Amino acid sequence: MSTSLYPLASLEQIEKSPSRQDGIPAELEEDLRAFGCKLIHQAGVLLKQKQVAVATAQILFQRFWFVTSMKQFGIGDVGMGALYLASKLEECPLRMRDLINVYDLLLQRTAHTLSSQTASSSHHKPDFKYSPMSYFGNTFYDLKDALVVAEMQILKRLGFQVNVVLPYGTLVNYLRVLGLADREEVSSRAWGYLNDALQAPVYALYQVPTIVSAAILLATRHLGISLPTTPPWWELFDAEWEDIWSVCGYIMRLYRNRTQKDQLLVLGMVTKQSVRQWLEDNPPAS
Amino acid sequence: MNYVQLEKLGEGTYATVYKGRSRTTNEIVALKEIHLDAEEGTPSTAIREISLMKELKHINIVRLYDVIHTETKLVLIFEFCDRDLKKYMDTHGDRGALDSVTVRSFMYQLLRGTAFCHENRVLHRDLKPQNLLINRKGELKLGDFGLARAFGVPVNTFSNEVVTLWYRAPDVLLGSRTYSTSIDVWSCGCIFAEMISGVPIFRGRDNHDQLLHIMRIIGTPDERLLRKIASEAAPSGDGQAAAAKQFPRYPKIPFQQILPKASPQAIDLLERLLQFDPAKRISAADALKHPYFTSSAMVYPVPPTGTMAPPTYFPTPLQHPHQQHAAQQHDAQAAHAHAQAQAHAAYIAQQQGYNAAAQQPVYPMQGQPQPQQAQSQFVTYHGSGQAPAR
Repeated sequence: MSTSLYPLASLEQIEKSPSRQDGIPAELEEDLRAFGCKLIHQAGVLLKQKQVAVATAQILFQRFWFVTSMKQFGIGDVGMGALYLASKLEECPLRMRDLINVYDLLLQRTAHTLSSQTASSSHHKPDFKYSPMSYFGNTFYDLKDALVVAEMQILKRLGFQVNVVLPYGTLVNYLRVLGLADREEVSSRAWGYLNDALQAPVYALYQVPTIVSAAILLATRHLGISLPTTPPWWELFDAEWEDIWSVCGYIMRLYRNRTQKDQLLVLGMVTKQSVRQWLEDNPPAS
Repeated sequence: MNYVQLEKLGEGTYATVYKGRSRTTNEIVALKEIHLDAEEGTPSTAIREISLMKELKHINIVRLYDVIHTETKLVLIFEFCDRDLKKYMDTHGDRGALDSVTVRSFMYQLLRGTAFCHENRVLHRDLKPQNLLINRKGELKLGDFGLARAFGVPVNTFSNEVVTLWYRAPDVLLGSRTYSTSIDVWSCGCIFAEMISGVPIFRGRDNHDQLLHIMRIIGTPDERLLRKIASEAAPSGDGQAAAAKQFPRYPKIPFQQILPKASPQAIDLLERLLQFDPAKRISAADALKHPYFTSSAMVYPVPPTGTMAPPTYFPTPLQHPHQQHAAQQHDAQAAHAHAQAQAHAAYIAQQQGYNAAAQQPVYPMQGQPQPQQAQSQFVTYHGSGQAPAR
């Protein structure tokens, strides 16, 4: 069976990503990637965009950080550019103004959450209220410039390699092969893992069969369903155990508890300026 | 930039094409200049064209050598070809019609390029004579991938606004969004008929009129097929409105009657390419194995001088006295013997190399499952404008 393949990050890029080289700790990069993807997802929901475009955007976003540092581009801008680009690729283009309005809302909400969480406890926390940008104000033009630049930079730095393979069709096929297609709790759980996995870099590290096998493994283990082990079922799908296990690790890490400090740190680093400021305050120990 | 810009070759909706010369190798190239629009960013046509053509390396597909990326524009460096098939037919053809040897050569190359796209899971979606380029060696190459897209295993819903009307498949005209490779095969059939006769075979004014033109020749299909295609149409497209309409019941006209010059084998191939039902349309790869190409004996009905009528189907402006036609044909044959010989040579050369070429990996450079091996594909793109070293 010939499934289409797509480029993956090199070992070198994985070991020391551009952001790591600029002194951003691995864990922080991981959190920023996940938060950038959450913003893409939220924007997609608000814009009623198709899931294929949203997932494609998240995968392009993940790939981008293997060739570029977060010191150079902010996760907000790149996420917006990725969603804009992916919508063109999937033939459901977005209006620039709609996308910019939605990102403006998401960024304001992020800023609000950040300020209300860090304010002293005695201080009253007002509810979030979105104030639309003025029609001729600079906000729109600044965001628009950032959007065009981000789209172009994604194309340029990925060498126009924007071919993305989504995992959903493969999941359905595999579940059929394993005789699990009519077990709704398995399919919906595995489907959910595939979507959550978009917040981790796995789609830039492994091919679809491995990722889908990992989602099935997690789903069946959580539900206590046993699958054939002699020979192991994943061998049928050309997946390696070590790789599947690694993908499971990436996915499960997304659910670990974070301290409030860690959470707030990420909220305050959506722009490249804030990343640079953080790097000045926390110079890498060399 | 490492290319000298020479004269302008043409202007499209989103790009201007210039002839160019490499400063390093002196090779002549085509420079496609795309202006970047601040209103919608990088045009999606340019994104599609670059991302797909980078991977498609085949003798019958125009080669994309390089991409130069500046702040205000994007320049695509393409292999240079002298003219497109439309212009070729106008200059070399007899009132547009090409001789049987050239038709066979071009048809073979067209199907080979198309089959290669399909093997690599790319739909061209806009095949027409203007997008097929012919070089001095008589090689035909598919160009302009601005509407192309990659297709995956699951049937997706695609845009309905593809393919110039005259070359658009009936299932697309009826609103289908789940079309696949058969959409390009239909266009190949239209081009085949056009090369033989010199005029486009179905020339509708709009969506509905185009369907009528098709049905007047290949006949109105039965209700069941129309309903089946309509059921695959998007729920609210105008295609469905078209499908719901009642069509007049036209009988099928034999292609031999429309294309009297064509050999029985050519007619048989055309029949298989221009099937109303997309499921029954032959694949490009199978079409290459058709007796029209494989049988060495080329038997063409050669009518006695003076009796050869132009295609009877087409309306009056194309009608002209038989004698004049015959005389013209005689001149044309002498004048274009050279072009014909070249087209034939290109055909023979490519047919011999076909089996070897068919072994090329589907994804020549990418796809290694090991991350470390895929490194070459996942690097920063250097749009340096260096001339290709080949």
